[in-house]
Amino acid sequence: MLQKPESGALPIPQAEGEKDGDRDGETQALTASQNEVPSPFLQESPKEDLGARKEEGATESALTPKGSRTLAAKALARRRAYRRLDRTVAELVQFLLVKDKKKSPITRSEMVKYVIGDLKDLFPEIIARAAEHLRYVFGFELKQFGRKHHTYILVNKFKPLEEEEEVEEEDLGGDGPRLGLLIMILGLIYMKGNSARETQVWEMLRRLGVRPSKYHFLFGYPKRLIMEDFVQQRYLNYRQVPHTNPPECEFSWGPRSNLEISKMKVLGFVAKLHKKEPQHWPVQYREALADEADRARAKARAEASMRARARARARATDRAGIYPW
Amino acid sequence: MEEGRAERRRRTEAPSHTQGGPRRAGVMTDVHRRFLQLLMTHGVLEEWDVRRLQKHCYRVHDRTAAVEELEDFINNINSVLESLYIEIKKGATEDDGRPVYALVNLATTSVSKMASDFAENELDLFRKALELIIDSETGFASSTNILNLVDQLKGKKMRKKEAEQVLQKFVQNKWLIEKEGEFTLHSRAILEMEQYIRETYPDAVKICNICHSLLIQGQSCETCGIRMHLPCVAKYFQSNSEPRCPHCNDYWPHEIPVFDPEKEREAGTSRATKRSLRSRQH
Repeated sequence: MLQKPESGALPIPQAEGEKDGDRDGETQALTASQNEVPSPFLQESPKEDLGARKEEGATESALTPKGSRTLAAKALARRRAYRRLDRTVAELVQFLLVKDKKKSPITRSEMVKYVIGDLKDLFPEIIARAAEHLRYVFGFELKQFGRKHHTYILVNKFKPLEEEEEVEEEDLGGDGPRLGLLIMILGLIYMKGNSARETQVWEMLRRLGVRPSKYHFLFGYPKRLIMEDFVQQRYLNYRQVPHTNPPECEFSWGPRSNLEISKMKVLGFVAKLHKKEPQHWPVQYREALADEADRARAKARAEASMRARARARARATDRAGIYPW
Repeated sequence: MEEGRAERRRRTEAPSHTQGGPRRAGVMTDVHRRFLQLLMTHGVLEEWDVRRLQKHCYRVHDRTAAVEELEDFINNINSVLESLYIEIKKGATEDDGRPVYALVNLATTSVSKMASDFAENELDLFRKALELIIDSETGFASSTNILNLVDQLKGKKMRKKEAEQVLQKFVQNKWLIEKEGEFTLHSRAILEMEQYIRETYPDAVKICNICHSLLIQGQSCETCGIRMHLPCVAKYFQSNSEPRCPHCNDYWPHEIPVFDPEKEREAGTSRATKRSLRSRQH
């Protein structure tokens, strides 16, 4: 369930795209998307679109009146298509930002239904550009849950700041209390050996004055928050424990928790709560250390593969003579 | 051709938004990204808070760099945001003209930004409150009047007690302001929804005669009916002993508010030091 960085990274479209002869110039420019700059530049400079110019020269001589009209019409159509594509990418970026605030994973079909519409054949292109914007402008990584499931989440490039920082309140944002509740539950789960019975969770919360179905001024209806929201958002897993009678259910960390926080951090939080050092719990401490080592290795691997991909991309575009515009 | 190849190499190495063309987009660094994220999280921030945020972002990511002038800093970010059809917009609080900033959608938006935080019936409650506020003379809608509409809401049935809590949620999330049991729009809502409000309520919407922006609270001329924001009134009639309506020239019948910018700045800094002292104590 721990999201491996390689499989989580977006597939980068190489020179795919439609093989439609008429729109060659357009699609070549569209598919070399990874490092593309937004629309104003595409609109300004059809003359820099060398790929297209080559193609246009082949069909009509630009010197005849008919030729130049066709040229102009094609340029206009191309610009319109670019604008529409840019608009769709911008809408998708906003859609993803808004949906991510809810923390529920976003499916490809949702994106197609609400934003992309009939441009859905260009989905890989559109999502790659949206991912690039999210990364460059906001510092969010768009991650896919495995290659088969078309579900995505945004992971923040920035880790929340340590408490020593004077302005730690800045980074919790509006979601502070709910996140605090979640961390308490993650802590309980971790300390109980990576799963906790539902009854144990409610017992802990009852001691904090939080009851499942009683409206709480900070958390709303806690039962809904924990059993529905946190589970839907993939922060928690909830399942029935086999062979229990009467049937019992248990919580464990969800995939998003593994992506957004670490065992070491949660252990640190629990330790602080008890005014002790993390090492006070040697079993959990060792486990957390091992987890840190795993993460460091995965990160190194991901960075190496991204660099290799970038080099391959650069080589591919050079070789094909395809200019980004 | 040489230029093209060199540019291409630069592009494949690192995405850059500073290539050719008459409109040069700015460059985003982690300083700008963290700033954007935090501004998005808060929804709306007053100027003194924005400056503090900016300094915080520099401290975290680039201690050695000089803090750029706020206006340039924001224009830089906005030039990058332009292609995403969003911008950091500056407005002012209606009651005393304090400058505020929010990240807004340039295309028309409905209450879409709220959609992620609220259920269908809650959004409908907001819409009802919004309508009452826009239709009102004072820009305020009473809690009672809003709660009386609870039966008309779309979606799941909501009790009045629950509706009271939802209204408080709106206040906490900076969509509404409450004053003595009455509700008006927070500057965040005004910034984000101005276009939506103008398009959805074209007959009921009020506009300030001076700045031509959306007006919720303000003063109006009793003769000809034009309206002005309180800070706009203060600025327009500044040190004018005989204030007259700019439209019909009748005497302006209301007290002219006085906003002292020096006092506001002091208030801002003292608030900032108070907060940092508090966090240092633990």
